[in-house]
Amino acid sequence: MDGLIIGLDLCDAYTRICCHDRDKSWNFPTVICRKKDDDVWYVGEEAYAYTLVGEGIIVDKLVKLVRKDGTATLCGTKYEGIDLLKIYLKKILEIPKEEFFCDEIKQLVVTLPKVDIKMMDALMYCADYLGIPREKVHIMSHTESFVYYVLSQKKEIWNNQVAVFDLSEDSFRYHELKVQRGLRQMTVVAEEEILEESFNLDILDTPSGEKLADKILNSCAERLLQKKLFSTIFLTGKGFERQNWAAESMKLLCSRRKVYVDQELFARGAAYKGMDYLQEKTSYPFICICEGRLHSTISMKVLHKERESQLIVASAGDNWYESRSSVDLILDNQDYVEFLVTPMDPKQKRLVKIPLEGFPKRPNKTTRVGISVGFLDEKTMAVVCRDKGFGELFPATDAMIRQEVML
Amino acid sequence: MSLILCRQEPVKHPFYFEGLGIHLYSSQELCYVIFNNPLLVMEEFVDLHLIEFIRNELNMTFLALKLEKWQQSGEDPDELLCLILSECDYYNASEVNRFRQEVAAYRKMSQPEFGKARADYLFMKKQYGKAVADYERILEYMKSSKGHEEFLAKVYNNLGSSYARLFLTDKAYHAYVKSFELVSNKDVLSRIYYLSKWNPALEVKERFQTLLTEELKAEADLRMDNADEAAENAESLQVLEELFSKDPIKRLAGAGEIIQRWKMEYRNMV
Repeated sequence: MDGLIIGLDLCDAYTRICCHDRDKSWNFPTVICRKKDDDVWYVGEEAYAYTLVGEGIIVDKLVKLVRKDGTATLCGTKYEGIDLLKIYLKKILEIPKEEFFCDEIKQLVVTLPKVDIKMMDALMYCADYLGIPREKVHIMSHTESFVYYVLSQKKEIWNNQVAVFDLSEDSFRYHELKVQRGLRQMTVVAEEEILEESFNLDILDTPSGEKLADKILNSCAERLLQKKLFSTIFLTGKGFERQNWAAESMKLLCSRRKVYVDQELFARGAAYKGMDYLQEKTSYPFICICEGRLHSTISMKVLHKERESQLIVASAGDNWYESRSSVDLILDNQDYVEFLVTPMDPKQKRLVKIPLEGFPKRPNKTTRVGISVGFLDEKTMAVVCRDKGFGELFPATDAMIRQEVML
Repeated sequence: MSLILCRQEPVKHPFYFEGLGIHLYSSQELCYVIFNNPLLVMEEFVDLHLIEFIRNELNMTFLALKLEKWQQSGEDPDELLCLILSECDYYNASEVNRFRQEVAAYRKMSQPEFGKARADYLFMKKQYGKAVADYERILEYMKSSKGHEEFLAKVYNNLGSSYARLFLTDKAYHAYVKSFELVSNKDVLSRIYYLSKWNPALEVKERFQTLLTEELKAEADLRMDNADEAAENAESLQVLEELFSKDPIKRLAGAGEIIQRWKMEYRNMV
């Protein structure tokens, strides 16, 4: 095999690893343990084992630790959360490498329940440490993995809406996707809801607890699925390892649609996407609107060859973390730059004007403005406008405007 | 009101525009220089060097090829300039037409008039050394022609002013004297007086000493005082004062930039 395409589902409670085109997958608790008298590290169940016999010190909730810049002291040494994550990822990525006798990682797609810039930066930093080039590392939300997983199945699975209930130890989430078939392009809109009705999975150990859990799931399903046409419902997460506690809910879920239990759903979806990154032409020719993707197209009105046209700086469906663009424009009787934000509903489009305050006064058409656009999250665009002057005729100054735009 | 999209032009070797003593790094700058300085680009501006710059640095192969073909076929050189303006998407069609008309108006001038207009423009752009060369060329050209005293007096006067800006007071004085000899002008007399004030070692002919009446001197002194006062309140001086009120690191960096700019300006002057 000439390199692995890995889908990695990283949560505080568990980590699941899948490889594209391989059936075998791994699931273990997201914990790391350091041996007391030695600089040796263990992960997953092994970490628990060493801790239980008193030979190691364990750290759990690694994602949370990284997110809040936390530290953990193990055997008198203070470790940053990110350092522990680095070691953890190194250890767990060894597993598929050893299993498939392959050292190279062709693509690593990490899927997280919640995607934020902090985790993205942290994971990229870890990738540097692991020697995996950044262009081979991608990060996506569970919702997006769900989209790629579903769209990789037969069409009848996603003819109508598709939902997934994700019941894990630390949360109860619901994702839903709808395929909108347009004249030119297909759009997939996927959303996520964190259910307040989340419960501790320990209650499933008693008959009364099972009954309560069934009631909760049933009421959630009634509320979320009503008046909508679903082709398929997926169930995932530790809570659905067995389903005999959810007799009533199953009746509701299974009526007029197919229901599948798949514990690898998010990791598989990530691996599918990883494979797609290697293709010259995508196997998923649709715009994906979900968490981690831009919901609006951002453009600027520019003059090109004496004609006004819209220059697209970011498109709806682009991965916001990877979406960056830079353009140089010359001001022609204008002292501001303006962006047109067009959401999926074009009626809601709006103009965002950024005045170029503090820019030097010059003759017309002699100020070149360098505009860089990036995103802090899917709803926040960061714009930087720099005075680039006009060669030696009007040298650049350090005038610069940085503005965040809520999309 | 609009924003013009800039072409990606990774210029590694800028084009040196001798007329203004600057380097050009983009097609927009090239167009701006042509459009705003027609007098400086009307004579042999489009040459092999420029065409190479357009081809290799601006990556506008088609335009370069067109310029070459037009040049070989003996096309009007002004049209080559208009072609550059049209192809770079910086000026619109009506602006290019305006440029064409402006150039046509200059072409209607006689050679000495055109030369003077060009030299005056260089003077205005503080390119005093180049202005001097142009004024000298006009005088050489008109050496044998008679009956153009007024025109020649103006040329000598402007030549004197160019020399004065280069701090060559002796040469400036001689040019002013020539101008005054052709047409007696009170303003030229005042300028001779200013020169004598700036350079007390200057030997002013006795004839001018007598022509410089007390009244004229008082008037000139008043104007010099006003100029001094204006200089004291000049914006550039305020910038300097601001700079010197900053912390030593910023002051040093700012001073370095200013000196570099002055050096460049002075080099262009001469």
